[in-house]
Amino acid sequence: MSAVMPVGAIPTVGRRLSAGWLPYILIAPTFLALVVVSLVPFLYAVYLSFHEVNFGQVGELNGFGNYMKLFGYDRFWNSLWVATKFTLIAVPIEFVLGLGGALVLNQRVWGRSVLLPLLFIPSMMAPIVVGLLWKIMLAGSWGLLSYNVLERFDLLPGQSVFASADYALYALILVDVWQWTPFVALAFFAGLQGLPVGPYRAASVDGASSFQQFTRLTLPMMTPLLAVIGLIRFIDAFKIFDSIFILTTGGPGVSTESPSILGYKMSFEQWRIGESAAMAVMVWIAFFVLCSVFYHVAKRRLKAF
Amino acid sequence: MAKKESKAASILWTLAVIALALVTLFPVIWLTAMMFKPDTVMFQRPTAWLFEPTLDHFKYVIESGFLGYLGQSFLLATISTLLVVLVGTPAAYAFARFEIKGRDDLFLFILGTRMAPPICLVIPFYLIFSKVGLLDTFTGLTLAYLTFNLSFYVWVLRSFCRDLPVEIEEAATLEGWSRLQVMWRVVLPLLRSGIVATAVLCFIFAWNEFLFAFMLGGHELKTLPVAIPLLITTQGVRWGEMAVVGVIALVPVLIGVFFLQKSIVRGLTLGAVKG
Repeated sequence: MSAVMPVGAIPTVGRRLSAGWLPYILIAPTFLALVVVSLVPFLYAVYLSFHEVNFGQVGELNGFGNYMKLFGYDRFWNSLWVATKFTLIAVPIEFVLGLGGALVLNQRVWGRSVLLPLLFIPSMMAPIVVGLLWKIMLAGSWGLLSYNVLERFDLLPGQSVFASADYALYALILVDVWQWTPFVALAFFAGLQGLPVGPYRAASVDGASSFQQFTRLTLPMMTPLLAVIGLIRFIDAFKIFDSIFILTTGGPGVSTESPSILGYKMSFEQWRIGESAAMAVMVWIAFFVLCSVFYHVAKRRLKAF
Repeated sequence: MAKKESKAASILWTLAVIALALVTLFPVIWLTAMMFKPDTVMFQRPTAWLFEPTLDHFKYVIESGFLGYLGQSFLLATISTLLVVLVGTPAAYAFARFEIKGRDDLFLFILGTRMAPPICLVIPFYLIFSKVGLLDTFTGLTLAYLTFNLSFYVWVLRSFCRDLPVEIEEAATLEGWSRLQVMWRVVLPLLRSGIVATAVLCFIFAWNEFLFAFMLGGHELKTLPVAIPLLITTQGVRWGEMAVVGVIALVPVLIGVFFLQKSIVRGLTLGAVKG
């Protein structure tokens, strides 16, 4: 136990000490708990994915049979396409609007400490309540937006947006944009606040315009942060379940059926447990790869971990 | 002159932010109004902006047992959060402060657990729970909530631990205190605000959670998010009542945002942005 170093010898943030066995004892309960609630279910899903499963009864080993069946199932490909469309439309909109919002917040605004928390409300709300809000805003004939906007401008005569196979997905995108843009703006704002002042002073001495300062200084310095938030939003948007469940349950038809919604229907409505386990395993592995990208970007470029 | 100009600019920017906040919050304000809107004008076209407020919806909500669901929600979120704090705090500190073999792999395991889509977990959980009799039990849901909340808590609290200067602990060690004494008497008090902020976020996540509560609970054990769809009845959707329950479900969130402020950015970006 001789890890004591002279005070102030090394920068203190993130410095690590060695202390024999103690750290392992401290992490043991967490590690055990996570093995039980995460690794065990994952391995069980892997096990199920290689077996025939009928009504919860595990039958014979069938190799990659479940995976092959899944690959031949057009609703599986449809769900990936739905989530891809959803994510690739919603997240860029949130980024552009969020960046604009962050630049506005970064001006001299009075009463920020009261106004900022208000903007956090949508991202902290239960997704089920978010769904409920928009069910009300866009309800059939009497919803506030349906009646006063959609109907008045003759945008979608005679039906609810969520009942239209062409537009339901865009309505869900609108809901996601409403819920997450304020958070993206606040996260970018936090990033802007953390930028060093020095380079900007130098730039204005050299006569750079504020637009040049934005493209040459702000954007490059913000890139790692944008990447990290982009990854988080991408992961979250891809696994969306709650708000679709309450708003459209994947319909009309399969037009808003995300992988999570399809997984739910396959497991608990059609009882195709083997196939949905195969799907869970693949999604899990894909997400794991995304997580390791997130981890490395955040660690190397943001020095966050 | 310059001063006057910047004052005018401040007013404009402040108004712009207020406008943004109003646009953002308008649906929430509308939901709040709907709690008091009588069914007779609920579906009126054109929209009835002004109406005689009624408490009928509250009455229905109370009479159909929602206070019980509220209690269950609160108890579940509280107990599961306390458990997470108890188990996770030492681990978060250890990860921040000590050399641990295979640290990167452990981190990825924790992060992967946090990010995994709930639907991937709920299928194996459902089958395992139905075998061992944990379906629709408090214990079962508390366990299931560990997946997203324990991983989240350890990950975020670790970033708070890293902000503590190590000198204080070293000075205490030089005084002859043991590592455990240092942790209990020095680190824990310094870490209190970080622990509370992260725990409040965990509480809100548990409070908001839907899929686990719906599939692994749902009969005896109902949380508020699971109870909301119950108001879609065979006689039609009880919109006013839904608004009441929705607003009740919002209360911890409203308290949380003012109380947490910037910790939310740190939390939702898993510590990648300090906020």
